[in-house]
Amino acid sequence: MLHKSRLALLGAVMSLLIVVIPSLAQSPDDTTLVIAQSVDVGGLEPSVVGSRAEANIFGHMFGTLYEITEDGSINPYLAQSYTVSEDGTEWSFTLNEGLTCHDGAPLTADDVVYTFQRAADPANAFTGNTVGFVMPSVGYVDARVDSDLVATIITSRYQSIGLGLLAEVYIHCRESYEGKSLEEAAQNPVGSGPYRFVEWVPDDYVLIERVEGFNLTPANFERIYWRVIPEASTRVAELIAGNVDIIANVPADQIPAIDASGGATVKAVQGTRRMYVGFQFSEEFADSPGWDAIQNRDVRVALQYAIDVPTICVTLLGTECERASSMVNPPNNNPNLTAYPYDPVRAGELLDAAGYPADANGVRFEITLMGPRGRYLNDANVVQAIAQYLTDVGVVTTVDIRDWSSDYVPLVRQKQVGPLFFLGTGGGTWNALYDMADLSAPDAGTNYTNWQNEEWFTLWNSLGGIREPEAEREVINQMLEIFYNDPPWLLLYFQPDFYGVSNRIDWQPRRDEKLIVKAATLSQ
Amino acid sequence: MADASITRLNAEALAPQVSEWRRAWRSLLKARWPILGLVILGIMAFLSVFGPAIAPRDPNRQTLVERLLPPMQTDAEGQVKYPLGTDGMGRDLLSRMIYGARISLLVGFAAVAIGGLLGITLGIVAGFLGGYVDDIIMRVADIQLAFHFILLTIMVLVVLGAGIGNLVIVLGVGQWVTYARIARGQTISIRAKEYVEAARSMGATSREIIWRAILPNIMSPLIVIASFNVASVILAEASLSYLGLGVPEDIPTWGKILAESRDQLLAGKWWLAVFPGIAIMLTVLSLNILGDWLRDFLDPRLRGSRS
Repeated sequence: MLHKSRLALLGAVMSLLIVVIPSLAQSPDDTTLVIAQSVDVGGLEPSVVGSRAEANIFGHMFGTLYEITEDGSINPYLAQSYTVSEDGTEWSFTLNEGLTCHDGAPLTADDVVYTFQRAADPANAFTGNTVGFVMPSVGYVDARVDSDLVATIITSRYQSIGLGLLAEVYIHCRESYEGKSLEEAAQNPVGSGPYRFVEWVPDDYVLIERVEGFNLTPANFERIYWRVIPEASTRVAELIAGNVDIIANVPADQIPAIDASGGATVKAVQGTRRMYVGFQFSEEFADSPGWDAIQNRDVRVALQYAIDVPTICVTLLGTECERASSMVNPPNNNPNLTAYPYDPVRAGELLDAAGYPADANGVRFEITLMGPRGRYLNDANVVQAIAQYLTDVGVVTTVDIRDWSSDYVPLVRQKQVGPLFFLGTGGGTWNALYDMADLSAPDAGTNYTNWQNEEWFTLWNSLGGIREPEAEREVINQMLEIFYNDPPWLLLYFQPDFYGVSNRIDWQPRRDEKLIVKAATLSQ
Repeated sequence: MADASITRLNAEALAPQVSEWRRAWRSLLKARWPILGLVILGIMAFLSVFGPAIAPRDPNRQTLVERLLPPMQTDAEGQVKYPLGTDGMGRDLLSRMIYGARISLLVGFAAVAIGGLLGITLGIVAGFLGGYVDDIIMRVADIQLAFHFILLTIMVLVVLGAGIGNLVIVLGVGQWVTYARIARGQTISIRAKEYVEAARSMGATSREIIWRAILPNIMSPLIVIASFNVASVILAEASLSYLGLGVPEDIPTWGKILAESRDQLLAGKWWLAVFPGIAIMLTVLSLNILGDWLRDFLDPRLRGSRS
């Protein structure tokens, strides 16, 4: 009897495996696109988007007032036009008619206002791009409804990048979200874009499906799976096996394997993400070894000379790259600034002069460098290489590698990383100020180092009154010089991006790292 | 009177030990494979102890421009700089393997020592005292057994943080149940023996009985279990390091070297996985062969058949 029941159990398990295993390994059909990213979403709350992986998915589920194209032009999207008041503090957007959210609720000016007010509501305690970056950068004050289709966003000052920044806010309907708890909202997003949310299986995938009748952008595939595959080698294996159509962050060492597979190729693009090592200024780190030293401007300048960025690029990123001379992507950077060269002798001299001579063992001071694993291109290895270079000039550096989603992101958002930390922040080529907006205020959510240079922030505020591009450029250059001479970042490189793309897909990656696949099609 | 009897018992027990060593040696020579295991373990132990003196380079020294060099590649002067090649950070694989032996064996033996000490102590106490003490200890053991060992270890390491100390403690504590159950069973069995009753009737204290009558007589199966256990703990350390939950970044272990090879396998950099894989396999195999031999050697029913 027992024997029979065991056989029955075994049979049931085998049947289950026969059903389940092929479905897990199935290649996508012609109506489905499968994308593999290295990290999962932290949640599905449109006001708390904090990583590129999340923004990629939200960018398909939610519409924005305007959208930025790869070439830097800012085009109408949910809004058909906008006007700016004479003093530059009021941005009025006229919406397209007949818009709805995915639950059928009409999308009107009131919903735009609700989106901004909900994000800014301190009771919600949101963090992320909208609250931590967009709002402080534009000097958000409030929003109001002017008519059924016209919403006005009120800011404290004019910003030439205002439109581009406001174009990063994901619009959602009052009717869809009001009355929901934050937990409910973060589990069941109701979007306003070309794809609707279907399912999120944490650490596995997010599935979205096309909204029929949404005609503001193309949406060629019926379904898009956003799979989470942390291991780069597994992503590559899945791509080669034909189970995935697009993968991001292909390690340089695995490019030949993909290109030789016959089923996929690697597309490279010079990305705009600024990679740097942050110097933490928060006094909460005062007890950490080495924190005192990096408060000294001369030490921070000295350490710029200690890192051989070109070698890191060639060996660990698989491509040549120019070292960043500022936080701004070329060609918008200050042309008078030259990237710090790799010169360990000079680094040593400057550290000596700064009051940190090497002891008998060659040690000047000790410090910890935190970094993530699995988010950026070869990130953990780059962190280790940086630690080695710093150690070589007598700054004995211990690395502290953390898991990106569960560990590193929460610490970064709370500015609890340091005393040195490796990070990359998304950038653009459409305006220098967009890249500089990370440091729009001493308490801005993206001022992860807690840098407090008064001169910088005074100049940033002065930009609010400037409407002429030449005058603005002059201030920008001045600010970048301040950043260069009193660096809150150890400047590294603009991350090159490698995407593995299945040959069945026709899709081109963008420089700004936005993985937008609305226009992707099957190859002819 | 009691002391004299126990001393006499001990003397009797000790007397054959001299010939036991000789018998063990003869058994080893006859079985052959365990000698190979001993030699391999001896080499690993030697590398562990003298690693820093033997390793040709600093295992953490990176030379990015020399990354991913294959084994035995000669430089411009015809010299082999890196016999086992270099890893993705340009570190000498041979030196990392030598240092890795130290950590892997240290973790393996230290965790088994902790688990053994804790498990044997609790097992003897449970078996000797019985009653509610036995119940409590064994129910705790049952609760622990209800959790998958690796999952439990991951959970604890996530809370406590990675590090050699934590790793050894977690792996050690994870092993105690095995020892406790065997020690308890053996203790209950031996506690009822006539010579224990005799010792008790002659006034021997519980401590004396445990130390002199029970402990020496339950050690054989526990030693055998320990030999297998070291192997499984080494594998567990490798698994946890592979998952990134083992030791810190700057401490090389075989498991971690193996983990670092993941991204290079598709690129054809075979040496990064093969060498640590062989080291783990040889060590575990040696321990298992020795464990097998010890089990047979210490089993009185097999005496004369294989020795």
